[in-house]
Amino acid sequence: MSNDNVESPTEDPTDDDMLLETDVTSGLEEGTQGSRTTHERTIVEAKDVNVWYNQDQALRDITMQVPENKVTAMIGPSGCGKSTFLRCINRMNDMIDAARVEGELYLGEKNVYDDDVDPVALRRRVGMVFQKPNPFPKSIYDNVAYGLNIQDIGGDHDAIVEESLKRAALWDEVKDQLDESGLDLSGGQQQRLCIARAIAPDPEVILMDEPASALDPVATSKIEDLIDELAEDYTVIIVTHNMQQAARISDKTAVFLTGGELVEFGDTKKIFENPDNERVEDYITGKFG
Amino acid sequence: MSTDDLTEDLTRNTANAPPELLTRSFFFLCAVLSIFTTLAIIALLVTEAAKFFSVTAPLMGIEGETASVVEFLTGTEWIIGEGKFGVLALVTSTVMVTLGSAIIALPLGVATAIYLSEYADPQVRSLLKPALEILAGVPTVVYGFFALIYITPALRTVFPSIGTFNLLSASIVVGIMIIPMVASISEDAMSAVPDDLRQAGYGMGATKFEVSTGIVVPAALSGILSSFILALSRAIGETMAVTVAAGAQAKFHNPFNPAAYLDGGSPMTATMVNLLTGDITGGGLAYRSLFAIGLTLFVITFAMNVISELVAQRYREEY
Amino acid sequence: MATEDRRSYADGFGQVSRTVGIIFRYLLLAATLFGIAVLAILLVYVANDAIQPLTADAGWHLTFFLTLVLPSLATGGYLAWSNVDGLKLGAMTLGLFVVGLLFSGGVAIIFLEVLPPLVWFAYVIAFAVPVAVTVGLQQRSRQIPFVSRFALATLAFYLSLFGFPGIVGSYAELPQLIPSVATLILFAPIVPLDWIQLTLTVGVFAATPVALYASAISDRRTGLIAGAAALATVAASAVVGPAVVGVGPIPSVVLASVAVLPTAAYVCGTAVTREQARIGLVLPVVIVAGALAGEVLVDTLGYAGPQSWVDWQFLTSDHSGTAANAGLYPAIAGSILLMLTVAALSFPIGVGAALYLEEYAPDNRYTRFIDVNISNLAGVPSVVYGLLGLGLFVTRLGQSTGTILVGGATLALLILPIVIISSREAIRSVPSEMRQASYGMGATRWQTMKNVVLPRAFPGILTGTILALGRAIGETAPLIMIGAPNVLYSFPSELSSKVSAMPLQVYSWASYFATNDFYEKAVPAGVVVLVTVLLAMNSIAIVLRNRYQRET
Repeated sequence: MSNDNVESPTEDPTDDDMLLETDVTSGLEEGTQGSRTTHERTIVEAKDVNVWYNQDQALRDITMQVPENKVTAMIGPSGCGKSTFLRCINRMNDMIDAARVEGELYLGEKNVYDDDVDPVALRRRVGMVFQKPNPFPKSIYDNVAYGLNIQDIGGDHDAIVEESLKRAALWDEVKDQLDESGLDLSGGQQQRLCIARAIAPDPEVILMDEPASALDPVATSKIEDLIDELAEDYTVIIVTHNMQQAARISDKTAVFLTGGELVEFGDTKKIFENPDNERVEDYITGKFG
Repeated sequence: MSTDDLTEDLTRNTANAPPELLTRSFFFLCAVLSIFTTLAIIALLVTEAAKFFSVTAPLMGIEGETASVVEFLTGTEWIIGEGKFGVLALVTSTVMVTLGSAIIALPLGVATAIYLSEYADPQVRSLLKPALEILAGVPTVVYGFFALIYITPALRTVFPSIGTFNLLSASIVVGIMIIPMVASISEDAMSAVPDDLRQAGYGMGATKFEVSTGIVVPAALSGILSSFILALSRAIGETMAVTVAAGAQAKFHNPFNPAAYLDGGSPMTATMVNLLTGDITGGGLAYRSLFAIGLTLFVITFAMNVISELVAQRYREEY
Repeated sequence: MATEDRRSYADGFGQVSRTVGIIFRYLLLAATLFGIAVLAILLVYVANDAIQPLTADAGWHLTFFLTLVLPSLATGGYLAWSNVDGLKLGAMTLGLFVVGLLFSGGVAIIFLEVLPPLVWFAYVIAFAVPVAVTVGLQQRSRQIPFVSRFALATLAFYLSLFGFPGIVGSYAELPQLIPSVATLILFAPIVPLDWIQLTLTVGVFAATPVALYASAISDRRTGLIAGAAALATVAASAVVGPAVVGVGPIPSVVLASVAVLPTAAYVCGTAVTREQARIGLVLPVVIVAGALAGEVLVDTLGYAGPQSWVDWQFLTSDHSGTAANAGLYPAIAGSILLMLTVAALSFPIGVGAALYLEEYAPDNRYTRFIDVNISNLAGVPSVVYGLLGLGLFVTRLGQSTGTILVGGATLALLILPIVIISSREAIRSVPSEMRQASYGMGATRWQTMKNVVLPRAFPGILTGTILALGRAIGETAPLIMIGAPNVLYSFPSELSSKVSAMPLQVYSWASYFATNDFYEKAVPAGVVVLVTVLLAMNSIAIVLRNRYQRET
């Protein structure tokens, strides 16, 4: 498939000069059931991002704009590159020697692949929640305060920890055992602890890499509720292979298909009800994937 | 947060912050120290040994007594008082101890590895493995003492002509000492054999014996081989056990003559120890001969280690 | 044809002979046990020669059999049958105490012979002051940049340890203007008694983990109480020890801190957290009570014990020309000092190199070269390291032969590859999710190392280091090469004094004093002590590794 399809069909091709305030809703009035705001600010913008692992191309010419304070879901069959793209945003791909990234990826108005960007500093502004809950073998308190400590964030740590645990809907369950190891919690609690840990330093964007795939249905639904609430204050970008989950929680959906292509990007409702692309329709209706 | 602040945040440099730089450079220095150690060993052995030989000694500014390289490498007598430095008198004893210990350690080590990897249940394994480690953990000087005080008298009941110092008892204790090395490296190699292969064997109706000897051992062969070479290299470099048990009498032996095992000998390592306990200090031909033996020893063991590494790489590539 | 075949199956599938397999299996088992059995037999022989149990009266054996062996076996057997966890707890308690005793012996020797408690006390305080300053600076890390903090901390350490202008000034022959904290304490007109000094230093070091452990399994208050109680125990031991047991105040304090406190903490802790296993504590009680009862009975009945060569006299006297009077004391102390030097040198460097190779180094040719080089160094014979020590430290750097510093540095180089290789394994076993989580939070490499990787890998690193130290203690050849004296009468007291070591002493008894007298008395006794110490170290490492592997 050619690169023409990569662009999100719902918006105008991006101009060369950066438009921070992009009116992406203009073209979809009839398709959407009213988003939270009419004017959306773009927080993350990818322009022709290509990723290679040695000789294998994992992502092809990804161009998309992620709106601020929304939940953006990335779906697609396994191996389609959705997690790779997520890891481009906070440059976790730098950890893999074989990975090579080309193109531009803006956070705010700074290309994070510019030479003067420090990936460590970038990750301090972008939180991440992983597929498998991975709390540190430390106390619950120290887990949440980890980001505050390493980033030298001052202020009342006790208050920030409490606030973060409340936002992660975990406070009531753990407020009496803050000194106990984070590993003693159940899987679902561990994942919410990881979310609390990610939001404690108050990042701009939270990346979630299939955060519920290792959890049971009850824990999953708790996480989903939580993501919904987080979107009031944060931009959430979530990778999932569960299409129902994407439909339930996201405002925008990006569909990646095999070969690392972004086939369609738009409002979740439109993607699930009336996708432009035939392959997306096949995927959504379960003909493959 | 405004986007300007965000941009400023992103470009803040953490990788070269002082704590990072400091720790990174310290760790780097630690890693590089190993290179310096190797270089120091090589430089020291080569320069000191060069002072020993008449060909190279003038280059190092040494006058007076020197020894000939050819005689060193081909001579069969090692008598310092007469200026006879024939390293073969030492090498043959080393070869004998190595061969003798190999006869004990290689079969026993491989058998142990097969037992641990294929037969032993986890509980037995968790008892046997630490016990084997202790075998390697007992100081070598203790092994030497055991050979001298207990093993030699016991052997005398079988071979009445055996000397107080003899190569047989030295070989036995060195063999016991290196069993754990053969066993643990071979076992690693056998554990690395994929279960699919075993399943395939069982699926064909093979018994456990046939799977172990017909499938696992051949598949792990390069790992086993690499363990052999490493263990032999260890036996060559073994010092205190042979010093105590084999004696200090440098003698040229025919390594393939079993009767020679009843006689004493002075392997390279033992000769070095005995040279130093004989009150020699800086300078002097005897002192410098120490480094010539050391260089010989180092070259042999280094070559064996490299070969073993190359062989081991093959089995890592296979799986 | 086909029907015939089918009919033959109906009789069963036949039998494949397993005889060969079974013989093979037992052959393998015999081969596995061969080395272990030979070593065990040799150890029994040497123990028999050293301890001579047969020289004791039959009554002595009978008494101890009845009071100690039988009850212990009965209790152990009962526990093994009814409560294996309890048996483990009992055995651990006993093992911990024995290991603690060994350690406290070593530490006590240092305080009695090498390091006067006052010097130790002065330097601990001189060290504690700048550490407190550094921690205080760390709290203000947001206001003061790292470089100034680092400079201030360095200055604090320098002033506290050396004063002003200190050792730098003494090179320039400047007069000392401000004395260091250490000097102030050393020359103070009134100093606390030596056992108080030790209680305040060693006692505090021992009580702190007790307090932390107690607060970890219970709460903060319990932790504080436990810590205070622990410190009080140590202080009390200085009074109780000399009065009741007849041990001097210094060994009493050390014994309480190193052996009694950890064991007591372990017992209390497990008794609280593992109720099921509590019953296992009966085992150590039975053993201790049995030993005491046996001792009293033997005394009153007048049975003579064995004429062991390993006795108090052997452990505490110097070398002598007659085997019966020869002792291992200077060699024991030498081994301890060597071990401390080797640990201080090889641990930071080994862990640092392992961290660099596992976490920092790019995967390129140079890294692989270092890699191969390290595994080759691990295979270089120890006698060659001895030559390196002789040629490098003694001949080139002009150190005198056979000192603790030269010996320690040589042995440290020798075990460095082993420490690096085992530390790398421990670091590699830290799950990569932990690193991902930390990097994902925006941690730098060092922050990730310090907060996540090192704490997690620490038990593994410790295991490898203990095993490597065991190897260093057992080495003789490098010490001979660097010219360590065969016989040492005087005591090593500083880094530049000559050192002997246990294996070296055993070697010289077996070679220079090669008479039957020495072969029968001093050498077996030395071997038994040496092997006991090494077995203890090996078991610590193995127990540590087993617990750690269970956790991960």
